[in-house]
Amino acid sequence: MVTGPALRARVSEAGLAYLLLLPSLVFLATFTYWPILRSIYFSFHDVVLGSNKIYFLGFENYERLWTDKLFWKSLGNTVFYTLVTIPCAITVALLLAVALDSKLRGMTFYRSAFFYPVMIPSVAAGMVWVFLYAPGYGPINSAIAALGLPKVEWLYDARWALPAIIFMSIWKYAGYFMLILLAALQMIPADLHEAAKLDGVSAIDRLIHITVPLISPTLYFVIIIGLLHSYQIFDYVYVMTQGGPADATNVLTFYIYQNGFQYQDIGYASTLANVLLLFVGGLITLVALVFGRRVHYLGR
Amino acid sequence: MSVKSTISHISRRGVLLGGAAAVAASAGLRSRPAYAAPDKVKVQFMYPVGVSGDINKLVSTMISKFNAAHEKIEVEAIYAGSYDNTEQKVITALGVGDPPATWLPINSALQTFLGLDALADVTDKAKKTDIYQDFIPGFLETAVSDGKLYGLPFQPSTPVLYFNADAFKAAGIAKPPVTWDELLEVSKALTVRENGELKRWGLTIGGGWHDWIFECFCRQNALVPWTKDKVLFDKPEAVDALEFWVKLVKAGVMPPASTWQGSANDFMAGRTAMLYHSTGSLTNLRTSSPFKVDVAFMPKNKTFGACQGGGPIMIAKKQSDAAIEASWTFAKWMTSTDVQSQWGRDTGYLAVRKSSWETPEMLAYLKEVPQAKVALEQSAYAGAFLQVPGYHKVREYLKSALDRTLAGEIKPDAALKEAADNSNREIQRLLRRRS
Amino acid sequence: MATLQDPIELSAPATSRGTLLALRTALRRNWLHFVLLPLMLFWISPLAWIIITSLKSRTEVFDPNAGILPAVLQWGNYPAAMAVAPFGTYLINSVLATGGILVCELITITLAAYAFARLNFPGKNILFTLFLLQIMFPIYATFLTNFVTVRELGILNSLPALIVPFVASGYGTFMLRQAFRQVPTELADAARLDGCGHLGILWHVYLPLVKPTLIAFSIIAVVTHWNDYMWPLLVTNSESVRTLPIGLGLLAKSDSGADWTRLMAATVVVVSPLLLFFVIFQRRFVDSFMHAGLK
Repeated sequence: MVTGPALRARVSEAGLAYLLLLPSLVFLATFTYWPILRSIYFSFHDVVLGSNKIYFLGFENYERLWTDKLFWKSLGNTVFYTLVTIPCAITVALLLAVALDSKLRGMTFYRSAFFYPVMIPSVAAGMVWVFLYAPGYGPINSAIAALGLPKVEWLYDARWALPAIIFMSIWKYAGYFMLILLAALQMIPADLHEAAKLDGVSAIDRLIHITVPLISPTLYFVIIIGLLHSYQIFDYVYVMTQGGPADATNVLTFYIYQNGFQYQDIGYASTLANVLLLFVGGLITLVALVFGRRVHYLGR
Repeated sequence: MSVKSTISHISRRGVLLGGAAAVAASAGLRSRPAYAAPDKVKVQFMYPVGVSGDINKLVSTMISKFNAAHEKIEVEAIYAGSYDNTEQKVITALGVGDPPATWLPINSALQTFLGLDALADVTDKAKKTDIYQDFIPGFLETAVSDGKLYGLPFQPSTPVLYFNADAFKAAGIAKPPVTWDELLEVSKALTVRENGELKRWGLTIGGGWHDWIFECFCRQNALVPWTKDKVLFDKPEAVDALEFWVKLVKAGVMPPASTWQGSANDFMAGRTAMLYHSTGSLTNLRTSSPFKVDVAFMPKNKTFGACQGGGPIMIAKKQSDAAIEASWTFAKWMTSTDVQSQWGRDTGYLAVRKSSWETPEMLAYLKEVPQAKVALEQSAYAGAFLQVPGYHKVREYLKSALDRTLAGEIKPDAALKEAADNSNREIQRLLRRRS
Repeated sequence: MATLQDPIELSAPATSRGTLLALRTALRRNWLHFVLLPLMLFWISPLAWIIITSLKSRTEVFDPNAGILPAVLQWGNYPAAMAVAPFGTYLINSVLATGGILVCELITITLAAYAFARLNFPGKNILFTLFLLQIMFPIYATFLTNFVTVRELGILNSLPALIVPFVASGYGTFMLRQAFRQVPTELADAARLDGCGHLGILWHVYLPLVKPTLIAFSIIAVVTHWNDYMWPLLVTNSESVRTLPIGLGLLAKSDSGADWTRLMAATVVVVSPLLLFFVIFQRRFVDSFMHAGLK
């Protein structure tokens, strides 16, 4: 039973909560929700960038999706990109974070070396990788040849262009996830590990049974953020391949950009953005259902 | 406990002060266009970086010269990124009814801007000057629609055939190919394989803009593959051009795909002996290659043919007469004989006026860099590039068709038919919407 | 993880009885370096290429016969790169815009994350989902509407225009909420018994304990917004309010191919402040007192 004072306490707690959320909500409403609402409105209309004439279309933009081969291709590319990049990058990141969560000599240098790719502006990083992937004379091909494997045309080859971008993304994002995981590891009480070690638990068992559960809230965060980020992959595609060859690297966000800014087709671009939002929302809900329950919080 | 103190705790005080200063300073730094004396007309000019980083400096120098010479006009130059970025920035500003007075898009965007009813018609103004007489006709045409002039060409370019002169010498080839057949033969002779592994391609067609170069091949087959309301990619001349590309790929002398950036690198690294790329790249390729770079006409088939990249200075329609007049004065000055002669020499773009090519400075430059002349001569055969509504999407359809054909996934005629159908459907949609 | 905590002792005195033994000990103690070092070398090779290229002459970049290192170090590439745009002004603007975003974000996410982690209120789950919407919706799809909004606010072509869309952060709120929920509840209860209110607990208990997360978030926020390109390009016109990536774009975005040597020189210049920032701040991870043993 909620009694008078308890009820009052609960109401004041809720009031405080809304007050704390208010600053964020003001800005989110202006710069996120308003664009989303407009995007929903646009998706039912024919809207041309640069013109203020708008025509009602009903569901025509959504119907277009079914027959738009490029939409399905870019969706497929995006899913493939995500399913490979995120597990790889997070695994590498976790191992790096565990290794670098210690007083290793040269630790600052190691951490910087793995994190710096995040800092390189995408136009510059994209250019560098265009060179690294160069056919024949590029360093990656030289390395492959040294291992006795056949050279690959990478960005010029529709089969290899997307894997090339995935590989580069792992280079780019592993350090990013590493940093977040490192922060989580730093917050684990050290005595837990000490105790386990004294009990003779092996390093791998400690990783699986102590470290991973203890940082599971952050791991959960990283997986979700990874999924979301991978849908934003755009800059590299734009700089390196422009979606080609033969649309092999066209991903959804690039396709949205193309439709909205190049083709001026704001209505269709909004439709694509909304579909992406629904899709990602569904995916995140799924992740939340599967992983969310297994997350252990030290707090309540 | 106040919000402020929370922050000073989590971040160091210095950061707090810095941040507070940032917010305060940024409010003060708000730099709206400073309204000059009331009798001065303010003109904004948005331009892309076409050929090199120094463009920012070159343009600012030109602008300050212009401003110094014109008491009543003040031009503000705004760098707006790549051609794409510039177009997007202008169109976004158009959407809120606040476009810049002048801007410099790629010429293919002509129909796009006309579709937005954004361009001032300058035909009558131009007729009062020597523009129709002195501009090189192939360049002027890129700013003309239905007989009306919508801007002044400022920095035209065309694709040309670059070749590695050292490689030619080593292979005993005396002169660049003039016909498609010779192109195939020379490419074969220049392709190098060791133990079955490719060391050097004979020829590379710069990817990313290969649709632009493909239009040149169509024009060399005496076909302009578009009119202002439809594309003609499915005509036999176009299919024949693509079949020739397939032949080059099947002969193993040309890679089936490349990127714009990558192909220029490949040429500089000696990975390809010949390269189709923009004249705008001349300075970069010439000064960055460790061998002698030479330039030739794109080989002909039925005829020589090329199409224009680069763009005209366009003037916004919805502004006061005084502003249009000031914009016109600016555009005219930017395309005047001496300014164009200087601009062409500084950047490698083609000067738009016949008289610019006859200035003493230009003649001296041509002696030093005779390659620059090739593109000029070729431009006698050049026309505008794909000036159809929705050209971006049409380009994507065409590029996709070319890529898939060269990768062997689809036959040339089927691919081009599909691209033409898709493009024409899109163009029709846009035209219907416009009316 | 004590094996990792021993410093390298490769130079341990090799007595007559066991050079081999010493070597084996060294190997066992330093096995991690044997794994990390090659990986690290691979990871930094693009950076090495950037720096080397920034010191080459133009013809050396792609010449297969030119060797890996430049014949003569071309320091002139740096001033030449800086000359294409007023990089000094750009640098100040980048610092102001990024710093402004960071400070604003830290305020909004701290408050919001506490509410989500530790307060009960109706609509909590829905509101949290609403926060996540910000990361789920493709950012390019917001530009058009936000351009109109920023223009109506009258802040087009000013530094606030670069800041306002990023003041609230669903990302940061989520990240910090996860960290707050890791703080043992007993600590908060103890503080409450001492008479602390919610803000007092947030201040005295939570924030000190999640310092590593705050630092990680700060690093990520700074790095992300330092490199923003499309949005600043869209909403600024004047040199006086533009930022470093736009200067970089001048060297990278040309249609005639990138200006490799100067682009790489400019990249080094743009990245250096970030790298410095990172090196300084990542050290602060270590002094988190929870890690040092919290009872």
